[in-house]
Amino acid sequence: MKINAPFVEKILTKFIKEELSKFHFSRGILGLSGGLDSTVCAFLASKALDPDNVLCLIMPYGDTYGRDIDDAQDVVRFLGIRSKVINIAPMVDSYFKGHPTDNKILIGNKMARERMSILYDHSARESALILGTSNKTELLLGYGTIHGDMACAISPLGDLYKTQIRELAQYMGVPEKILKKAPTAGLWEGQTDEGELGLTYENVDRLLYQMVDKRRTADEVIAEGFKKEMVERVIALVKNSEFKRKLPPIVKISDRTVGHDFLFPYDREK
Amino acid sequence: MKVAIAQIAPHLGDMEKNLDIHVDLVERAQKNKVNLLIFPELSLTGYTLQDFVPDVALKPDESPIFQRLKQLSEGISLVVGFVEERERGHFFNSAAYLSEGKTLHIHRKVFLPTYGMFEELKFFGQGKNFLTFTSPFGKAGLMICYDFLHYGAGYLLFAGGSEIVIVLSAAPGRGISGKDGWETSHMWELMGESLSRFSTSFIIYANRVGFEDGKSFAGGSFIYNPGGKLLAKASYGDEEFMVTDIDLDEIRSFRKKWPYKRDEKPEIILEALKRVVKTYED
Repeated sequence: MKINAPFVEKILTKFIKEELSKFHFSRGILGLSGGLDSTVCAFLASKALDPDNVLCLIMPYGDTYGRDIDDAQDVVRFLGIRSKVINIAPMVDSYFKGHPTDNKILIGNKMARERMSILYDHSARESALILGTSNKTELLLGYGTIHGDMACAISPLGDLYKTQIRELAQYMGVPEKILKKAPTAGLWEGQTDEGELGLTYENVDRLLYQMVDKRRTADEVIAEGFKKEMVERVIALVKNSEFKRKLPPIVKISDRTVGHDFLFPYDREK
Repeated sequence: MKVAIAQIAPHLGDMEKNLDIHVDLVERAQKNKVNLLIFPELSLTGYTLQDFVPDVALKPDESPIFQRLKQLSEGISLVVGFVEERERGHFFNSAAYLSEGKTLHIHRKVFLPTYGMFEELKFFGQGKNFLTFTSPFGKAGLMICYDFLHYGAGYLLFAGGSEIVIVLSAAPGRGISGKDGWETSHMWELMGESLSRFSTSFIIYANRVGFEDGKSFAGGSFIYNPGGKLLAKASYGDEEFMVTDIDLDEIRSFRKKWPYKRDEKPEIILEALKRVVKTYED
């Protein structure tokens, strides 16, 4: 699972640079939370692009997570990139005023989609391509909001497990306080990914690596010492989140159908 | 002689831009007194073409792009990758060896990877042959990417008398735990080293770089001499124009010492292979 961090940094930086230039963008934009993944994404973007061409949107909900906003702003200052703070509380509150709920997941999803909507708006205003900050662990477990934090134009971190991102972050010189932070989707105060999932990233990454990258079966990994309950739970999470990793199925009734047999590359004629 | 490998990043589906890259690099090669310039697989079109295949297909005898490339091959040998239309509506992932305004050889990719991230059999017809041909520098043979990973393909070129094996590739890199570059790059280098040594031939492997739909083409083009020695290797991931001097007399000196070619018995292999194939169950 260990990565060759300098090489990974080189490939990811090249990817960002090349994709932007193919689509004639000189700017990249991302949502910066003050957490590990978006910080690493900002570090990569500032290496790939002119720092003036990296715009970070810091989108807090009111005054919650004040420390994270400070951390995000420190990253911006450290890298010399641009940033803008937009408070999402007025939009989110106004919606829930009309449609109240206590369900934290519903509120969290709404916040994630509010941020997405602001990112896409600024993507168009600034002619900047959206750099996604989802990692491989989240994509596989479906631990993200569809059309929320999972939405982006390109995904530089999508093939790195959380623990591999931490390794890359260490190599790239991400500040200690961000490295040490407990990962959180920021869905509510005190929420942590590991608490909510009931799994540690270290364990789940090792398991996913065996099952996804090394193509081991459930029986094999259980025989190697992974707990049966954990293996079953992770398999269920992966299985039930397939819809988050795919475009919706289109019912085929014509001779040639988008997604079925109308097949073109994303980078067509770029 | 001087060999150049153009480790480039073709534009996907944009033949005009790609032709410009070819023209520029031929000029650069000529300035460097290069005798043989090799481009990667599908160098004129890019790799992930899918339904775009018919739109970029060429007939070598008719295509103006091909005429231009043939003109460029005055005084220099060129190896290029392209989509070939043979009969109407049948398309191949092909490579051509051009020299002195002529097409000396066309190889159509035989082993079309269709597994995991690859889907070539959906879009291309399958080539049938691994034939050697007489190049200005000796007997040569062409392979395209996945062909090279099938040792039967290397054997056929060896049995056909090849002295120079040229491999055009568009191999994406996979695996990031290695010490140096992609984990999969090692597999190509291992085959390069083995085949060069045991066929006592030069192995010239031209891979591409750049990204298509998130796939990162690995680069790491290389040349092995007929004794299994690495003469040159390009970087993993960066565009590069790599010029290498090779000494064709090394074929003779290694074959004097290691007479694998002299002692090879293709007729025995052929008969034995027929017997093996007969044992296959339907």
